[in-house]
Formats: sequence, structure tokens, C-alpha cells
Amino acid sequence: MDCIKVIFGDCTLGVQGDREGRSFELIFSYAKGGLVSLVSDKKEWIYRAPQPAFWRALTDNDRGAGFHLKSGIWLSADMFIKTANIEVTLDKKEYGFPAAPLTNDFKSAVEGNILKVKYTYETVTNPVTAVSIEYEINSDGEIKVHAHYFGKEGLPELPVFGVRIIMPTLAENYRYEGLSGETYPDRMTGGKQGVYDMEGLSVTPYILPQDCGMHMDTDWLEIYRKKVLDNTKNEERLSVLRFEVLNTAGAGSLDTAHGKFAFSCLPYTPSELENALHREELPTPRRTVLTIYGAVRGVGGIDTWGSEPEPPYRVSGEEDHEVGFRIVV
Amino acid sequence: MTPKLCWLDDPEVYRVNRLDARSDHYFYEGDEDENAFVTKENVRRGGRLYQSLDGVYKFAYSVNASLRPKDFYRTDFDSSAFDEIKVPGHIELSGYDRIQYINTMYPWEGHYYRRPAYTKDAGDGAGMFSEAEYNPVGSYLKRFDLDEGLRNKRVIIRFEGVEQAFYLWLNGEFVGYAEDSFTPSEFDLTPYIKDKDNLLAVEVHKRSSAAWLEDQDFFRFFGIFRSVTLIAKPGAHIEDMWAKPVLYGDNEGGFGLSLRLSAAETMNCYINIRLSDKEGNEESEILNVTASKEVAADTEYILKEEKISKVIPWDNKNPHLYKLLITLCDENDNIIEKVPYDIGFRRIEIKDKVISLNGSRLIINGVNRHEWNKASGRCIDIQDMLKDIRIMKHNNINAVRTCHYPDNASWYYLCDSFGIYMMAECNLETHGTWQKLGEVEPSYNVPGSIPEWKGAVMDRAESNFHTFKNHTSVLFWSLGNESYAGDNIAAMNKFFKDMDGSRLTHYEGVCRNRDYEDVISDVESMMYATPKDIEEYLSNAPKKPYILCEYMHDMGNSLGGLGSYIALLDKYQMYQGGFIWDYIDQAIEVTDEATGEKVLRYGGDFDDRASDYEFSANGIVFADRTEKPAMQEVRYYYGLH
Repeated sequence: MDCIKVIFGDCTLGVQGDREGRSFELIFSYAKGGLVSLVSDKKEWIYRAPQPAFWRALTDNDRGAGFHLKSGIWLSADMFIKTANIEVTLDKKEYGFPAAPLTNDFKSAVEGNILKVKYTYETVTNPVTAVSIEYEINSDGEIKVHAHYFGKEGLPELPVFGVRIIMPTLAENYRYEGLSGETYPDRMTGGKQGVYDMEGLSVTPYILPQDCGMHMDTDWLEIYRKKVLDNTKNEERLSVLRFEVLNTAGAGSLDTAHGKFAFSCLPYTPSELENALHREELPTPRRTVLTIYGAVRGVGGIDTWGSEPEPPYRVSGEEDHEVGFRIVV
Repeated sequence: MTPKLCWLDDPEVYRVNRLDARSDHYFYEGDEDENAFVTKENVRRGGRLYQSLDGVYKFAYSVNASLRPKDFYRTDFDSSAFDEIKVPGHIELSGYDRIQYINTMYPWEGHYYRRPAYTKDAGDGAGMFSEAEYNPVGSYLKRFDLDEGLRNKRVIIRFEGVEQAFYLWLNGEFVGYAEDSFTPSEFDLTPYIKDKDNLLAVEVHKRSSAAWLEDQDFFRFFGIFRSVTLIAKPGAHIEDMWAKPVLYGDNEGGFGLSLRLSAAETMNCYINIRLSDKEGNEESEILNVTASKEVAADTEYILKEEKISKVIPWDNKNPHLYKLLITLCDENDNIIEKVPYDIGFRRIEIKDKVISLNGSRLIINGVNRHEWNKASGRCIDIQDMLKDIRIMKHNNINAVRTCHYPDNASWYYLCDSFGIYMMAECNLETHGTWQKLGEVEPSYNVPGSIPEWKGAVMDRAESNFHTFKNHTSVLFWSLGNESYAGDNIAAMNKFFKDMDGSRLTHYEGVCRNRDYEDVISDVESMMYATPKDIEEYLSNAPKKPYILCEYMHDMGNSLGGLGSYIALLDKYQMYQGGFIWDYIDQAIEVTDEATGEKVLRYGGDFDDRASDYEFSANGIVFADRTEKPAMQEVRYYYGLH
């Protein structure tokens, strides 16, 4: 078992490791509030730091129910968030926020077995609440991610809770094990369990762009990309990054969390979808917007002028929610 | 007779010289093989007695009646300045007049202050439409020679659908006037028609008093949007037929028939009535009756019910049809006319407050269906219909409500053939007269109990009934949609009950005015009730079996929670399912003004105001008939019962 190498920078924390012979590099930013780089198979997989996801584009039923009037605050919470705290732990040694000049003490890159980086965010909601995203990297080359939303009395219902990862270029396709088709918590009984290959990043052609492409109850997901932004690389080599559930017993503290997750893999952010009144108003697809969810509001269906989804399919803002997954390079 | 523009305004004028509605049967001459004119899907077309007048017409558009070419029907009129237009089609999709989508509001909302004639203080409506500054007119002209097969016979013309009011002339002579956009209108052309060089003139008005009755949630079009056909009648002819197959027990049958016949000149005929398998094999014959009858201008013939042992019942799983063949012969055994019609044996009834079909509880796994094509609007073709049938069968949809007007006739034949249960709805919706901003406010509701509006809605009921009464798939007559309730809708209900004890009546709007619940609708019908609402009704001494004529509003990304409704089927015998709203997104394909690409547009995208925007798109299939992701949920749950 090789150790992981940790580079305590003044503004970032670098990590180098490998998993079964496949090397990877990570950079956690202090200024940008998250993981700004994940290089795997010599390819950059992160365009902007992953952030907590609270919003999904309104559906017609959401709009009809006035959900945006009650819960619109989550749109701005989704777009703007404050990084309140960063804590780094390496092999049980707690560094807190390892700011300069503390970094001078390291002299060189540090080796270790388990690194944890925990970002705590404060929402722009009123009342404010906290959300954490914690990363754990070990010498087996496992990268685990766990996000926790702390419910707070007085906060309205959430559209979703999850972690959004934006990749620099458009993926070629993705593959997952879970349910067939587009499923939501209140519309997944007809989905058939299986492994599905999805060509491209399709946006379901609802005539008014709205949330789409949700896949409930997923065991794993692989994203396949060719294109890179790196000007020195013009090869079109297919690479894969895999995300899977944290369901195995293990040493890490995150392994206690969760069975299956939900995800959507679209070429657009929720606000891009929200802004378009027609499909042709959507921008040219250029990124991969992967969101992995621990909680999703149902789509409802009773009517489009007032009815909410049935109670089990609504996401309370006053209760805690979490999601966890493993990134496999 | 001189046609009058004021007919447009008067709710008591809705047909002038229009023939009585009749059965939609086809007929052939003796030497024609009637089997040659039917597809394997049971879609028929006419033989040599039929001449299509579809195609290119000369056309002029006027923004109102005062600007229309008033003399255009005259044989000496110079139409060289006219454009050309394709029939069938909507005028708005042919490049004239603005496309508009609006839901419950009347299309003139914000432009005209209007109240229906004879409602509270409204007066008689004079000039409301005929003198409106904006009420476009389409003037259609067609020259044609009569095909060989139609010459020297009585000839009628059949308009399958003209929206919304039209005047008809042939060879300069006024023929008639009709409203009701969605049922066939027929006129007798015999006095005016020639072998060669006929001039047909049709003047279509966008709005008339009928507009108050046609406030459906759809794009508001006008024009000749369904086929136009000339039909010649043989010397002796079955004008109307009503086949009455009956099912007793599991497989005992009965068959009765009534005919209305006419002859050019009174003659003695033999009427042979034969029932066999679909192929007409002799050994499969279950009925063969011959009667002699003197047929005059208007003659009735009734075959009293004959018992038939061992019939195979018709239902969704096994839509077994028999071939009925009625043959008219003269005294010398020359066949004058043949009428084939495929019929099935089935029994729909309410027993112990539960609807049963052929003795078993009926479960409706249904969908509401507007006729739609993204390129041609409500002008659809047989390929669209066949695609719809395939999608329904594949996804376990067993019932369709023809929301909210009678459909293209071929659709009824397909439903017979593929075993789709039909709720056949009359062309009636007056939503904006009683519901405003979501509130019930019926101060100027029509038809209500206003005598002047009774004839028009009764005519709609009669047309719906008489046209489609022979279709096995029709289990329910639906009086209309969202029109509140009063004496006039009660009279429609009574008409159907009096005429046809073999089917059930349906009307949801009575739930808004419960005073009428004992005289309107055999079923308790609601729309968009929550599962809890349904349980509440069914747990408190329910009067009628319960169905949802609309539920699961599938606008955009929707259809969550279907399972909660399906679960009620197991819990309450009297809950019998519902019709999803709805089948297909109503959106129009146009060229994007920014990119030149083909794109889909909805209400408000044509500078049309007021509009209800994207509310036009609630389908379980997209406007191009590809299935929405929610369909797998429909397929699963509709497959359970």
C-alpha cells in the first residue's frame, strides 16, 4: 500500500495518490471553497469546485403549486454560498485550517494514509444553516465524499439536496446501474433495474425547459469523456470516472452513510434550464453538470395549479439530509 | 332562400338545410367488392360512389365579414385575385390569420366585451360576430366535374369538420349553413349539381355564437380542417342504420337492427342482413335474414332482436368483431347497395353501483386525447391515428376520452378494431362562462337553462349519437366538458338515455351544480380529485360508480403519484379508474426566427394575447409522438389491472 502525498500549499492543499496503479492528483482550494482539481487518467475532471446543490429547475407542477414562491430562497442558496470553515485532518492529526505561515513547518510534501478535508458552508438563507462537504482520501486510493445538510426550523422545503460537480467539457456518454428511464421519487415504480448506457447528455425535450434526467436508486455511475480544455493535449482519448455508493464496511467514518443515490448528468445547470422558455434558448452544451443527490422532491401529478407532490415525496428544510459517494479513478 | 349574416349571432340558428345526422356507415354498389375498401386495421374508404373534394381550393382571407368578397359564390365572379389553399387544413397554419392558444378564457379576452346572447341583460347578440371588426372569413372556391360513378344519382356533400360556421353554395345557388366544428355536416346537392364544371363555394367564419360552446383548451383555429367528400346514393339506399348487438350471459347473443331507407323512386326491395366472421365466410354465419320492403322517399325497417347462440364477446383483450353485411336488392335480385359494418357483442351496465363490461367490473386505464399533429394541428391523418393506437396498446392504455369533441371518424373504427374503450364526447365546452380565475362564477353560463341555447346543444348531442352509434367501442356518451349544469345539459342526458339504453352517460360538470346530479350522468365523474377526495366520496354513501374523467395532469415533467390512484382500484369496487390528462403535447413546429431551425412553439409564441402559454402541452407523448419518460410509469401501473 502506497501512502498518499499531501502538499500543504499556502492557498491550496494538493494530494497525490494512486489506486491499483492508476495515479490521481487533487487540489483543494481554500479560496474557492472546494476541490478545484481532480486529475485522473491525465485528464482534468473538475471545472469549478463542487458545491452543495439545493435547486433543481422548476417543473410546471412546481410552478403551479407556487413552490418557487415558498422555496425560491433555495435558488439563490444554490447559486451563492459562503465557505465558513475548512478543516484538514491527516492520519488523525487535526490541522484545522492550515494557513500560512503554518505551511512553512512542513518543509516538503507529507506522506500519510488517511486525509480528510472538510468544508463547511453557510447558506444565504434566512435563517442561515450549515452544510458540510467532507472528502476522505486514503492510501488505497479511495476518494469518498460525504455531504450533510443541517436542517433548521423555519427553512422552507428543499427542491433537492446533493453535490454538484461541473466538468470542463461535455461527456460523450454515461453508464449507470439503477432504474431505467427518467425517474423521480414518486415516479419510479415503472423503472426497471439494470445497467444502462446513455448516449450523450440528453435533455428531455419538455417544451418548456425544466428539471429532467433524474435517475433514482443508483448503485454506480460512469462518466465517459474525450474532450479536454488543456491546450497541449489534442488527443481524443476516452476516459472514465466512476461514482459509486458508499455501502461497504470500511475503516473510514463516511462508510456508515447511505445506500443508493440519485443523480442527473446534464449539459446545463439548473439556472441555465430555468432561464430558457424554449429548448432553442438553451446555450450550446459544453460542460458536464453531474449532480449526485441524497434527497429529491417528487414531480407530483395531481394537477398543475396548486397540488404539491404527496407528503413522502417532499424534502423538509427543517430536517437533516445527507449524501455520500465514492469517486473511483 | 337567402342566407343571412345574422345567423352568426343567433344561437338559435345552427343549421340551415343541413341533413339530419346519420350513421357513419359506408355503402357500395352491387358489383363492388366491399372487402377491397378496408384495411386490415378496419379503416374503410369509399368506392365509386365517393368523390373526394380534398385538395387545392381558391381562397380569399378577409379580416371581417364586411370586407369579404360577398359575391364570390356567383358563377360569374372573377376569382383571379384569389390565392390558393390546401383542404383540409387550418387557415392559421396556411399563412393567414394569427395562431392563438388559450385555455378557459374566450379568445377575445381583452379585445371585446361580450356576453352570450340571452344571458342576464345581454340581449339577442345581434351584430356580436357578424359586425365585429375582427372576425375573419375564409372564402373557398372549388371547380369540379362529377366522377362517372356519381352521375345521374342523388348526391350529397359531406364536410367532416369545418370550424366554426359556414355557408355553402353550389353553382351560384345557396345550399345551406352549419355550425358545430367537429361533427359531419351533410347537404343535399341533387337539385344543383351538374356532370361538368360545378362551382362549390364555402364561406367559413372564424367565430359565431357557436364560439360560446367551443371554449376548449386548445389552439383556436378556423377553416375546413377535415375532408370534404361528394357521396352519391344508389337508387335505393340505407340512409341510416343502427345495429344493436346484445350480449346475454357470457356468450349468448342477440341482434336487432333499424334502418332508415330512401329510394329515388319508390321500389320493392329485398333486404338481406347477414352476420358472419370478419372474412365473411359462409360457414361462420350466425345470422341471415331476408325481408321484402317497399322503399319510398323515407322508409323505416326494423329487424326485431333475433337470438344468436354462442357469440364471442368483444373487449379490450379480445376485440372480436363480426361482419355485418346489409344488402339491398331489387325484385330481380340485382344488388343495389351493400353496407358492411364490423360490430361486436358486449354489454355495459351498472350492477350494484359498479360498472361492468360483459359481467366483469370495468377498469378504465384511460387517457384523454386531443387530435394533434405538430405540423398540421388538428388536421391529422390515418398514420397519426395508427401510431396513437400502437402507443396505447403498447402502454396498456385501454380507454380514450375524445376530449372535448367528436374525432375523425376513422378513429372510432380503429378503437373498435383494437379494443380501445371510448368515452365519446359531444362538442361542448363553455368554460369561460362559469369559471373565472379558477373561481366558480356562473352568472352568464351557457347553455345553462336558457331556452335559446337548448337547440344548439341538443343538435350536438344528436349528431354525436347518430354518427357514432354503431361503434362497439363507445361505452360512454359524454355530454361535453366543463360547461356547468342546467336544464339543457339535463336534456342532453335524457336524449341519450331515451335513445340508447345500452350505454352509459357521462358528464363531470354536474359536480359543480349538484341540484342536477339525479338527472345528469350515470357515473360520478371528477377531474383532478386527490386520492383522499376519492376515498371521502366512496366512504360516504356514494350514489354512483366513480371515475376520473381527467387526472394526472401530465404537463411537462409530471405524472408523479400515479400509484396512489391505482391502489384505490383494489380498495374500492366503485372506483373504476380514470383518463390521464392528456395524450399529446399541443405544440406547433415552426422555423425559428433566430436560427432557421425547426422548433416547437406554444401559446404566446405568435404574439397571441391573451394566451395561456405552455399550458397547451400536457401529453404523455411529446408533440412529435415520441413517448415522454413518464410513459414507463403508465405502462407499469396500467398493466396491473
